[in-house]
Order: sequence, then structure tokens, then C-alpha cells
Amino acid sequence: MRLALRELRRRPGRFGVATVILTLIAILLMFLGGLLDGLTAGNTGAIRAQQADLIVYSEASQDSLVRSRIEPRQRRQVQAVDGVSEAGELGSVQLGARIEGKGPRDLVPVVLFGYQSASAGLPEPPARPGRAWADDTLKAEGVEQGDTIRIGPARSPVEVVGFVSDTRYAGQSTLWASLGTWRRIQNENRPDARVAPGVSQALVVRAAETGDPPDLAERIDQATGGLTSSLTEDEAIDALPGVSAQQSVFNQILGLTVLIAIIVVALFFALITVERVGLYGVLKALGAGSGRLFAGVLLQAVIVTVIACAIGAVAALALDAVIPAGSIPFTAGGGRLIGSTVVLLLAAVIGCAFSLRRVLRVDPAQAIGGGQ
Amino acid sequence: MFLALKEMRRAKVRFGLLISAIGLLVLLILAQQAIQTGLITSFIGAIEKQSAPVLVYSVDGQKTLQGSIITPPLEQQIRSTEGMGRTGRIGQGTFTVTVNDDSDNSDAAIIGYTDPDLGAPDELSAGRLPEGPGEAVGSSAGFELGDTVRVLGPDGRPSGNEAIEVVGIADDAQLQVTPTLFVPWPAYVSSVKTSNPDAGGVLPSAIGAAPAEGIDAATLAGRINESSPDADALTRQAAAEQTPGVAEVRQSFQVIFLLFGLVVPLVTGLFFLIITLQKSASLTLLRAVGAQSGLLVRSLMFQVVLVIGGGLLVGIALYTPLSQAQLGEIKLSFDVTAVLVWSGILLALGLLSAVVSARRVLAIDPIEATTGEGGR
Amino acid sequence: MSETQTEEENDEVSRDREADPTPALEMEAVRKVYEVADEQVVALDHADLTLGSDEIVALVGPSGSGKTTLCSIAGGILSPTEGRVVVGGNDISDYSPKQLTEFRRDSVGFVFQTVNLIPFLTARENLLVVDEIGSRDRKRANRRADQLLEELGLEDRAGNLPSQLSGGQKQRVAIGRSLMNEPALVLFDEPTSALDTKLGEQMVELIREEMKSRGTAAIIVTHDERITGYADRTVHITDGRLEA
Repeated sequence: MRLALRELRRRPGRFGVATVILTLIAILLMFLGGLLDGLTAGNTGAIRAQQADLIVYSEASQDSLVRSRIEPRQRRQVQAVDGVSEAGELGSVQLGARIEGKGPRDLVPVVLFGYQSASAGLPEPPARPGRAWADDTLKAEGVEQGDTIRIGPARSPVEVVGFVSDTRYAGQSTLWASLGTWRRIQNENRPDARVAPGVSQALVVRAAETGDPPDLAERIDQATGGLTSSLTEDEAIDALPGVSAQQSVFNQILGLTVLIAIIVVALFFALITVERVGLYGVLKALGAGSGRLFAGVLLQAVIVTVIACAIGAVAALALDAVIPAGSIPFTAGGGRLIGSTVVLLLAAVIGCAFSLRRVLRVDPAQAIGGGQ
Repeated sequence: MFLALKEMRRAKVRFGLLISAIGLLVLLILAQQAIQTGLITSFIGAIEKQSAPVLVYSVDGQKTLQGSIITPPLEQQIRSTEGMGRTGRIGQGTFTVTVNDDSDNSDAAIIGYTDPDLGAPDELSAGRLPEGPGEAVGSSAGFELGDTVRVLGPDGRPSGNEAIEVVGIADDAQLQVTPTLFVPWPAYVSSVKTSNPDAGGVLPSAIGAAPAEGIDAATLAGRINESSPDADALTRQAAAEQTPGVAEVRQSFQVIFLLFGLVVPLVTGLFFLIITLQKSASLTLLRAVGAQSGLLVRSLMFQVVLVIGGGLLVGIALYTPLSQAQLGEIKLSFDVTAVLVWSGILLALGLLSAVVSARRVLAIDPIEATTGEGGR
Repeated sequence: MSETQTEEENDEVSRDREADPTPALEMEAVRKVYEVADEQVVALDHADLTLGSDEIVALVGPSGSGKTTLCSIAGGILSPTEGRVVVGGNDISDYSPKQLTEFRRDSVGFVFQTVNLIPFLTARENLLVVDEIGSRDRKRANRRADQLLEELGLEDRAGNLPSQLSGGQKQRVAIGRSLMNEPALVLFDEPTSALDTKLGEQMVELIREEMKSRGTAAIIVTHDERITGYADRTVHITDGRLEA
């Protein structure tokens, strides 16, 4: 074991090759993973911020917020269902925001939400009309607390009272206002999608106890006569356009990349092992068992991989800092970085196993023979 | 190239591993190229395919049909722009529909036009343009000739007399990754009213415009923008490229291609460096018995070409069936240009990466055969 | 001096060097000087050596005596600093490295002390390698290779890799390869150092037989005095200087 470490320290060049390549693969994994995480967060922030037990859409909406319509009667029906403690209304409208300092054709796409129930991620809606919380990604567009931004063709004014985090929707920044504000702005700017008072797009349902959301979902849908479709938070996220497709495509790509990592590790450690057949012969003649020799190889692979992942993580974090917010949806989350490291370590161990046979086959008698 | 081939034959494992690694990388690069193309097309195919050379959005629409609304005064302004030829209204909405009276509902993007030459697809792969109410052209992703589509009302029930029949099919004509229908204006208006009875007047989402004789589309777009500050006029291609999200997709994939593209020459170059160093004794021997260095370098390059070529073949072979598939709503296609371009790039990069090894080969001094230091 | 060569009638391939008055090697006043750091190291000083066309010479000297340098110059691996070198009638004194490479390929055979065989080529392929890097007369080369393998007792080992051959067999393959290009001169560098006494004797006998039957000249570098019995002549070298 110590021999393996000493070799690493004294002859770093030999392992430099494998380290460089593994670093590149680590960066690849972390970048792809970070891209997926960024895309997902940008799509799902608003839903996750509700911390709802269930989200209720209208049946005809195909679980799409913008096409969903919940009438006051359905709301009352849902509220009355046993097990429902709270059914807050939710509405949204997607418009272009004009922010001071930006050009006349340079609008920032935002989604303005009207909501009722607060959560850990969302404070109470501003009581006064025309005010809203803003997702902190709007800070990158130059918005500050107290600013008024004008949204939509009607240039409806919205005053930003403060900021919230991780509440984006469909990749866009969001504003969070009272239902009244939302309805007014929707009707001012989208006359063809006018909403009557009391009408909303979805209901955010909090259960009375940490009960049985799927069961509750059925009961709610029954109570409204089948006019609603109630989803858990996860189901609602899955139903967001593109989210599950994105995840499955990316995960397949990530999987293949890990496979490539295994092959590359196997290849380079096979090459290195071939060179050291003579050395292994001598060590075996001196009494080292195959197990110990292979453990040495494994240790080297692990150390090389850890170094590669460390460099990769630093690169990913640097990338995160350098990429301007809004160009590439990349985020370097701790979970992703650690996860990539673990996966790559496994790949390295498996890749090493290919060399096991060769190490086992080395004949100590060869060492004494000397020649080729 | 006797030596090159013999060595590869006797070391199948290592060369095999290298070729399979490269093959997988090629597969990933080509697959992601196809995904990028398919993704972008499924977002903006309809914009690229519709027939109006200039699209005029409202500025608030942020260059999307779904966000844009043209008010009557704005429409008037646009029409009176100097150099304007013909104009037509274009409306767009996404609706819940049933297809062929299926019990499952699905989504459809419906694009309505007043002038088929300013808003309908410019090329059909089957069938014909609608001739009357109740007919539509459908995107090939999602529809087939003869399908009947009904828009659902807010109560979830199809509205009786509003069946739309698909009489024509257009390829690569989706919008927002949703099956898309192109219908004459009146059908669009009634679809909007069916789905949301609360709706007021139905305004167009954009105006399709064709320039008068002697002016090109880009000039007309520029003039419209100058004369109406609320208008956002773009040529068809620019409208497609500048749709929000397209640039982001391209940029993200750019970085991905860069990273994957780097791995190939790096793995190749380092592999050949290691094996060149490992066989330096043999190389020294060969130089001593009279092999020119040029010959040995050519032998090395030959192996590089075989390895990358082999990897390309493996990758393309795996990519071919994949390229016929459909990932959800995204249709993939076999992009010959991409295959050729990447083959060229990877071969060139691979040969470049072997330069370090080639220099090592050239530096071998045959005298070392006699000193027994033919090794490193 | 001149011996009439016996020719195999139906085998043109084994028509080797006929009685040939041209000396295999002529070295006149050859000097080789190296610059090491700021000093000049004289590896070979005023060497004069002439070999007959089928003469076997044993070159004996301690390590560092310059015997390797002399062999390298005779074999066209090194250029002399001063002096004239003529091998098989070719004056190679001023050849460029490229010319030397070609010359080695076509006119000299080598059996090195350490690395002799390409590990990923079979015995037969190791013989053919000379043709592969040169003239490419495939058929002729194949015939010659087969013939040499037979003569050297290696026909049933022809398809084996060096890792599957014994030390003595490997040496024989190397000898076979050194003869493939019908050289004017073959250089043997300590051919018996890795072999036991008995095998070593067998090897040198084999070398003598092969050289003589083909009328090929050879220089055998050795520090083993017993080998000298098999050579026509022994030349001693010390500190870069030859003694008669």
C-alpha cells in the first residue's frame, strides 16, 4: 500500500495522463448534471415553493396551469372535502416586463403569479394592490427593492416589495402578488384570456394531517364531479412541459458518459499495469500477495479519481460564477458535485478490475529469470 | 502498413477499448447534435415553415406568438408602412383537444391565418391546404391525414360541431414541442371561443407581411420597426432564431460539444503517447536495422486513423437506429452534414493529438540500440 | 582467401555473396570524439581495421573500451568524427542520417545484446520486418525467411511470439533476421552473454556456420575469451585504441 502511494508521489507524470482525462470527464459529468439541475430548478421553482400537498387543476387543462380554470364553486367543493385544511387559489400570466435602464425592445420575460397561501418559501402576498415579491434572479436585471416595473402591453405597474428565492417557472423569473392584482393585470393585458372575479387557474391544497395525498386527491376530484385533476407536487412537476423529457434524456447521456469513464479508466490502467509486470514479478517474489498488489492499484485509481473530481468541482464552481445569469441555465449544486464524484469513483474501481487478471497472472519466477 | 496492423492485431484489448470509448463518444456527440436540432425544430419549426417572409409581433410578445397581441391601431400602423406588399393576420393559441374522438385528451397548438401565403406552411409533405371551414394542415409530429380534431370547452367536453379534419401534413412544423394545426382564421377564432367562453374579441397574435416589389424582407422589417415603436418585426429566419430559448439551447449544447469533442483527441493522444513510450525499445531496434523515422511516424498516424475511423464507424452505426427514433415529441433525424463535419473534425484532432507521440518517434536515436537503453 | 561458394541450384534466394575480393569493411584512421559537458571524450582513436569479405573477427575489450562505438560506426549507426569507413564497397563516411538508415537496411545485419525482437511480431514476422521497411519484394522475402527458419531449426516456432520462445531460440531468430537482407557485414554484440556455457558454444558454432556458408563477414563483440576460438582473427581494443 505504502509502495503504491510512494509511486504516486515520486512518479506523478505516469498518472498524470489518467488524471487529466478523468478530470475532463469529471467536468463533463458535473457540467451536464449542473445543466440539468439548472434547467429543472428554473422550470419547477414556483411549484416547489408552494410546498403544497396537492395542486388542483381543471380536468380539461391537461394539467397545464395556463389553460386551467377553477370556478368559485369548485373551490368551495374542494375546501369542503374532509382532510383539506386549506385550498389557496393560484393564477399566473406570462408577460414582458419593462425595467428602467433597459431599451424599448429589451423586455424581460416574467410570470406574474397571484396567490393566497404563504409557505416557507413564499411570504404572505402583499396586501396592497399593485405590489409583488420578486424572484431574486430579477436582481441580475437591475431590479431593486422599491422599484416599479411595468409589465405587459398595458404597462401595468408593479412595485417590488422584496425578493424571494428559487421561485422561477418555465425558465422565467417570477413576481408574486395578491389574487386581485393578478386578475387585474391579466385582464388588462390579456383580454382574450379574461378571468372573472373568483376564477383562478389552480388550487394549492394543504392537507389537514400529513395524511394520504393520493387518496385525498381522489376524494377531491370526486367532490367536484370529475371536473378537477389533483396532483401531488411531484406529479405536478412531471406534468410541466418538457421536465420529464429533459430529465430522461440528460440521464441517458450521463449514463453513457459514466460508461465511457469506465472504459477510459480500464484502458489507462491496463496500459500502466502492462509496464509494471516486471515490478510486480519482483514484488511477488519478495512475498507480496496478488491481493495486496491489486489493492495498491485500486488505491492509486481512487486517489487519481478524487484529485480529478476535486479539480472538476473547482472548475464547475468557477463556471457557475463566471456564466452570466440567464445565458446558460447552469447551477453547481453540492449534491450534484458529490454525486458525480461517487459515480466516478465507482467507475474507476470497476475500470481497475479489468487489470486484476493481469496482476493475478504475474509469475514471480519470471523476476528471477530476468529477461523479456 | 504491416507493423501498424500487426501491433493492433496482437493487442486487441487495448485497441478495442480505445475504439469503443471513441465510438461511444462519437455516439454521444452525434446523438446530442440530433437532439439539439430536433429540439430547436420542435420549438420553432412552425415559424420557419410558415409562409410569411416577415413576421410582426408586438414588442410585449417578446418574439413569441403566444405572448404577442396586435391591437387594431398597431395593425393599422403596420399596414401603412412604406414598402408594404400584402399583410395577413396570424393568431396562435394552445388548446386541449381530442383527436379522432379518443378518450384521452391531448394538446394542440393552433395557428390561424387570413392569407394562406402569409401564415400557412410553405411546403406540404402530403395532402393539400384547407379549402373551407373545418379543415387544417397538421404537423407530421402528432397528426396524420384524415385525423379529426375537436377543441374542448372548459367543461372538458368537445363542442359538437367544431370537428377539424386534417387534410394536409407538413414536416418539421411544430410549435413549442406541441402538435400543431394550421387553420383558416374563422376556425381559429371559434377554437378560442370554444376553449374560453369568457374571451372578448379575438385579436391576432402577429401580422404576416410580404414586401412590395423591389424591397427585400429584411428592409421591410427594419422599416416597420422604425415607424412603429410597439412593433417587433423580424424576417422569418430571424424570428425563428431569436425565439427565446433557442439561443440558450444552442449555447448549452455548444459547451457540451466542446467538452465531449476535447475528450476524443485527449484520450487518443495520451493513449498513443503511452504506447509509443512503452514500445520505444522496439522502435529503437527498428531504427537501428534501417527503418526510416518517416516510416515509423506514418505507421503511427495510420493507427490513429484506424482507431478514430473505427470509433466513428461504431458511433455512427449506433447512432443510425437512434436517429430514426422520436424522443417524446422531438423527432430525430439522421444528419448527414453533422456526421461528415464531426468525422472530419475528430480525425483532424486525433492526428493533431498524435503529434506529441510523433515527435517522440522522430527523436529516437538508433545508437541507443547498442547501449541497451532502448527503453525510456 | 577466396573460396568458391556452393550454390543451391533450384533456389536463387540462397545465392549469396560469391567469391568476392572486395573487403567487407575498411576503416582508416577513424576517430570518434564526443563533447560531454565541456570536455572532449575520445571514444575511438585512430582505428584502422580491414575485414575480408567473409572474415569473422572477434573484437575483445573491457567495458568502456570503445568496442560498441567501433561496431556502431562499422554498422552505419554512427558517423565518425574523422576518418574513412567503407562497407561492402560503399563509402559511408559522409552519409547523412537518412542515407545511413537506408544503408543499414540494405547492407548490414545486427544482433544486439539486449532488445532484438519486436515483441508483437511472430518469429517469422520478425524476419520479414526488414523487407517490410525496405524494398518490399514480398515473395522473395517470404522464401528467404522460410529458408532461414528451416536452417536455424525454427520452422515449428515460426508462428510464435518472442514471449513464447526460449533465450536460445530468440537469439536464433535474431540471427535469421540479421541475414535477411543479404548483408555485407553482420555485427554481433555479446551474443552469448545471456546464455549458459553449453548454449553459448552452440550459438557461436551456429554463427560461424551461417556466416561461413554464406561467405558473410562478421564482427563479434565479446569479452569472453573462449569465443575467440571460433573467429578467424581476434582484435583487442582498449581505451579506444586497437591493438593488432
